[in-house]
Amino acid sequence: MIAFEHVGKRYGGRFEALADIDFRVERGEMLFLTGHSGAGKSSLLRLIMRLERPSRGRLLIAGYDIDRLHISQVPYYRRQIGVVFQDHQLLFDRDVFANVALPLEIQGFEPREAARRVRAALDKVGLLHRERALPVELSSGEQQRVGIARAVVNKPPLLLADEPTGNLDPQLSADIMRLFEEFNRIGTTVMIASHDLALIARLRHRVLRLREGRLVSDEQVSDGGAP
Amino acid sequence: MSPPPTPQGARRRGARSQRTGLDSRARAWLRHHRAMLGDSARRLLRQPVASLLTMLAIGIALILPTGLWLALSGASGVGQRLQESATLTVYLAPAVSERQAMTIADTLRQHPEVAGARLITAAEGMAEFQQALGLDDALAELDDNPLPASVVITPTDTAPAAVRDLGEQLDAVDGVDEVRVDLAWLERLRRLAELGRRLTLALGVLFGLGALLVVGNTIRLSVESRRREIEVVTLIGATHAFVRRPFLYSGAWYGLGGGVVAWLLLAVGGQWLAGPIRALAASYGAQFSLPHLGVGGSAVLLVSSTLLGWLGGWVAVHRHLAETRPR
Repeated sequence: MIAFEHVGKRYGGRFEALADIDFRVERGEMLFLTGHSGAGKSSLLRLIMRLERPSRGRLLIAGYDIDRLHISQVPYYRRQIGVVFQDHQLLFDRDVFANVALPLEIQGFEPREAARRVRAALDKVGLLHRERALPVELSSGEQQRVGIARAVVNKPPLLLADEPTGNLDPQLSADIMRLFEEFNRIGTTVMIASHDLALIARLRHRVLRLREGRLVSDEQVSDGGAP
Repeated sequence: MSPPPTPQGARRRGARSQRTGLDSRARAWLRHHRAMLGDSARRLLRQPVASLLTMLAIGIALILPTGLWLALSGASGVGQRLQESATLTVYLAPAVSERQAMTIADTLRQHPEVAGARLITAAEGMAEFQQALGLDDALAELDDNPLPASVVITPTDTAPAAVRDLGEQLDAVDGVDEVRVDLAWLERLRRLAELGRRLTLALGVLFGLGALLVVGNTIRLSVESRRREIEVVTLIGATHAFVRRPFLYSGAWYGLGGGVVAWLLLAVGGQWLAGPIRALAASYGAQFSLPHLGVGGSAVLLVSSTLLGWLGGWVAVHRHLAETRPR
């Protein structure tokens, strides 16, 4: 699904955000990306979302070298990726329903079909009763769940999350992670950037560790402190 | 456009979700256009004063070139009538008899560039002269008629150069003494009209650019205030066209509003100026009034102002999108 082939990313010709990143992610996998802040987690996700382009190496998504995408094809590519942002990136001038419906509106879904999907996604994250609420009326855990609903509403094959539990307490974090695992179970490839090591250790998944822009370990957590 | 790479998972699972038949895509496109048409209008109405000020600025920028154009088309109408009345007077040699004069007039009438020729015999000329000057008594003292016979020629082509050419040709005809063409003032009028046309064009371009900048700047501010929204929809796969659409409609609304403002101001201003203009023209013994825009002119004004607004919106969003291209 994802193949980094010796990918490097430099900013301004000097600062090396990522160097010689090389790994593969199979379809239907779930994995974590961890490391200190500044280790390159966000840069790596931004490369996959094609918000940035690699300075070196190749990045294949579903077998396609996405660096070769024409600028006009990028939006269609991005529709195949659901992204959950640390700061939700919700639009505060519209209600929960409209926020979740946004990807479908962009893709030109017929309104009735869109409404059905939005309700299904909201139901999944347990917020069906808040569809008319404005984002500001929600707790930050609820806002994050709206963000997740928006990321999955069009059933993308790839789901990326950047510090999705950044500001949440452990209980809420665990709930959110359970949600991701559910999406993974139905076949979605899930990649989560997080520095919540304790939480990652409890969930037994593959973990990629970045340090100063380099991939320093890639291992399957098999015996975390699972309850 | 070639189909974007679709990770196969989507293809497999998304037989329903990727329903992108041409028909349904066209319908989605139309739906979004309709939605943005309404949405952009509502956004304008939410800030009525600011919107009205922008439209006023556009309207005022458009009114000068439009007004000038109207005045010019009125003036060129007058000029046209004057030019059409251009005639040449062919004076025949004094020795030419009345019978010969008729023959010459017939010859002149046959010339391909002559639309009409009216013979004024020496006697008729005298009569006209007497009537015009009221010098019956003085002229009656003369034994002989000193006036030559003349032929008044109406040319087919009233362009000054053609008239002058014709004059030279007729001068060469036997029995013709002299050809009088008073073209200098016609020429001057024509040059003045040309100057006016160019001035209007230059002002039109300048003020149109001004209107464009007004719209562009207004849209730029609104792009700025919706920067986050643009960022988010771009992240989740909105095309540039999708992002641009609401702003293009806003621009078009501003432009249309500006066009309506210009139209109203012209109508009111025209009424206000009509009296003095008529009086002034009458004092010159002429009839002149500012022409109205009419249905066609109004349509041109509104359509072009709307397009101008649309273009302003396009420029503003395009600049923003170009800045956010992935590197």
